Amino acid sequence: MPIILTTQAYCKMLLHAAKYPHCAVNGLLVAEKTKDNKKDPSAPILCVDCVPLFHGTLALAPMLEVALTLIDTWCKENRYFIAGYYQANERTKDFRPNQVAEKVAARIAENFGETAIVMVDSNRLTMSCFEPIVVIFDHHENKWKSRDVNQDCFEDWCEAQKITSSLLEGRSYEQLIDFDNHLDDLRNDWTNPVINKSVLDLC
Amino acid sequence: MASVSELYDVGWEEMRDKLRKWREDNCRNSEQIVDVGEELISDHGSKLGDDVWIIYEQVMIAALDCSRDDLAMTCLQELRKQFPDSHRVKRLSGMRLEALERYDEATKYYEAILQDDPTNTAARKRKISILKAQGKPAEAIRELNEYLEQFVGDQEAWHELSELYINEHDYGKAAFCLEELMMSNPHNHLYCEQYAEVKYTQGGLDNLELSRKYFAQALRLNNRNMRALFGLYMSASHIAASPKVGAKVKKDNIKYAAWAANQINRAYKLAGRGTKENKCSVKAVEEMLESMQITMS
Repeated sequence: MPIILTTQAYCKMLLHAAKYPHCAVNGLLVAEKTKDNKKDPSAPILCVDCVPLFHGTLALAPMLEVALTLIDTWCKENRYFIAGYYQANERTKDFRPNQVAEKVAARIAENFGETAIVMVDSNRLTMSCFEPIVVIFDHHENKWKSRDVNQDCFEDWCEAQKITSSLLEGRSYEQLIDFDNHLDDLRNDWTNPVINKSVLDLC
Repeated sequence: MASVSELYDVGWEEMRDKLRKWREDNCRNSEQIVDVGEELISDHGSKLGDDVWIIYEQVMIAALDCSRDDLAMTCLQELRKQFPDSHRVKRLSGMRLEALERYDEATKYYEAILQDDPTNTAARKRKISILKAQGKPAEAIRELNEYLEQFVGDQEAWHELSELYINEHDYGKAAFCLEELMMSNPHNHLYCEQYAEVKYTQGGLDNLELSRKYFAQALRLNNRNMRALFGLYMSASHIAASPKVGAKVKKDNIKYAAWAANQINRAYKLAGRGTKENKCSVKAVEEMLESMQITMS
């Protein structure tokens, strides 16, 4: 059951990467819990949203643990669960998952076996978003393997492209809040209601 | 598109002062610097006096970050005209080459500067940055270590080295760099807190206890440092939950964790006052703290 992305999830990932072009960024992808008896085992998991976590140094444990626990609690209240992890590396030419990505994904996988790593290929980030720039890695036989690039991983690519491009041009990334921003000032809301509303308004 | 002065209703003096603040704080808000700086230079350049040169330098570097090679060249050319033999300007030329990913040419530029002036720290640091950009962290670390043997007081370099080590997951060496920084900046709560994070990540009971102490120290230096507060809570909780500690240590750490939890809840309530959205954060934190209490006992 591979994961696919909604516009809101894709959009906020790219805004996060665009806000800190000189840093590595990472975050979590969340999906909605479905009632077990309705779940079709072959249906893909839809990641409806993402929570941007950190920028800069990603390899330190304590704040990551805090974020995972807090977001997990928030997920339970909203009938979400953590389904994946995204990361954009500091060097634009580098889009392979590193040790940090694998460790966090392993942690998430303790609760959700089909966890995927979504790597953002910042090298191809453009205002027009003419092509999707994520590479999704699934865990097979103890290794992280990238998915076939032709496989569609979007709920609605046209909508995602249009809205992401529009928000990038409007510099909406200046208002994106990640967990680091939240720790700097607790009033900063990492659920990003402002950006979510902008996405909804453009739909 | 409206000008910065129109959008924000500011005069040129405020724009100049903002640029100075960003320079002093070493902010990398390059898009804003380009917006403000470009307008300031073109509309009010003559009023800036000697400040104009440092502003050219600041705007040029920000322009490189934003792929504004046109603006970068304009600034660079003005600086070259004014300071024809300056190493400082040559370094900027090198940075432009770096931005264009012409690393070999850039390296040659810096080596020429160093031939002329072997003590030029800026050129050496640029060479190390090139190694980092090329994805050669081991070489960057080696060169930076050599640099620090000579320039032992360079705080920026120690911090850069600590980050390089963290990215390589060499937490022991990262801790060493942060120790150097803490020794020369005993009142800096950020270094304390980062050191504590590194120790926590290293793991093991001794490191956890050390991390708790340094989170506490960071809090003493700045009682609003949320990372330190959360860190204190996490480290004390883990120590209390460890099967290897005696009853007294467990009891003490439960006390520290409880205190920290209380402070965290207070901080969230303070922040959440009046806003509807933040209520969910407050609740989430309360629940998180409660659930961790269970695992501790």
